[in-house]
Amino acid sequence: MPGDDGLLAVRAAEGDEEAFEVLVRRHAPGLLRLAASMLGSPSEAEDAVQDAFVSAWRRIPGFRGQSAFATWMHRIVVNRCLNMLRSRRPVTDLDSVPEPEAPDHAVSPARAAESHAAAVALGRSLSELSPEQRVCWVLRELEGQSYETIAETVGISPEAARGRVFRARRCLTEAMTAWR
Amino acid sequence: MAMNSGAELPGPGTGTGPATGPGSGGADGSADDERLACGRLLSEVWEAWEDGAGAPDRDPHLRACPHCSAAVRQLDLLGVAVREAGGGREPEWDTGALTERVMDVVRLELRPGRPLPLGEREEDLWVREAMAAKALRAAAETVPGVRAGSCLIRPAESGGSPSRGPVRVRLEVVVPLAPRLRDLAEEVRRRVHGAADDALGLPVDHVDVHITDVTEPAGTDPEHPAGTEEGNQP
Repeated sequence: MPGDDGLLAVRAAEGDEEAFEVLVRRHAPGLLRLAASMLGSPSEAEDAVQDAFVSAWRRIPGFRGQSAFATWMHRIVVNRCLNMLRSRRPVTDLDSVPEPEAPDHAVSPARAAESHAAAVALGRSLSELSPEQRVCWVLRELEGQSYETIAETVGISPEAARGRVFRARRCLTEAMTAWR
Repeated sequence: MAMNSGAELPGPGTGTGPATGPGSGGADGSADDERLACGRLLSEVWEAWEDGAGAPDRDPHLRACPHCSAAVRQLDLLGVAVREAGGGREPEWDTGALTERVMDVVRLELRPGRPLPLGEREEDLWVREAMAAKALRAAAETVPGVRAGSCLIRPAESGGSPSRGPVRVRLEVVVPLAPRLRDLAEEVRRRVHGAADDALGLPVDHVDVHITDVTEPAGTDPEHPAGTEEGNQP
């Protein structure tokens, strides 16, 4: 019942930690997926989302519901991931890039291996993007956000957001073309 | 590929495209725009592709030109790779463990609110506002379909320091659409008052009930059954 997010957020703002717990349970899966695509690592994604929720609990008394709780939370996670990516740089050790696990559902082994290799190649080229490029690209490509929304979330102009996505796409298409 | 990778050109600067071209966008100029062999800028071609698949009719060049088609195909291939990468097994998130870790920190950083007096004036019993609010919200929600939001409990007599005296409750509720909302609000007020008096022993001067929203009553509208919004995903 996402419709009562606002109600629960108000209660959490007034110190009702049980209401906050419902929100955490409800929004954790989507935020984990988002963080994992930005960070490329499930365990780092868990750290990011955990930190983001703790930060949200501290800040929620000032949350006045101008935006939906989900939007507010989304923004906190994006900024947390951006900071983590920035502090990760300039490490460009390709071997440190976590490899996605191979899918084990019923596809032919060759096909699965190819998807796996594509995922690895993509993961590697993603890790070579700048933090801003990567975050903007994930928000555009995987989350389907408008450039205006991305700009607002990341705190840059829509033109800059468009530029970052463009550069990310250039790097990624070149890498994927080379891989194929 | 048919990319003219030798031609690193600055952003368009001509007024043809919508807004400013990506080439002029930012400081991280690791990969600037590129002019294709046909004269189009890569950024323009990709932008047209992104703005809608119906666009080729508006600009026949895009469909006819081998350079533009090749550029678009690269994006399509990237999309395929993204889907393949995402189509693998998702990590098995342990949302329960994550929630527990978050709540462990939250419980160390509770915001209990101000102390409120319990019992008679000469007693020295207090309850924290957040605890009392929880009990009062729960009482309001014993009325079927009612959901309680903000619950503020303030001393009825104004004063800075916590004084022993009756309090004033301001409660916001979301209620199901009913013919007599006033009766419903009155019932909520009665139960909240009762819970404060009987369960908590919190002397209440007044309970203000504010209806902030009205919802369809559960189970009466077959098109919008309550709580099944997530159930319809294919």
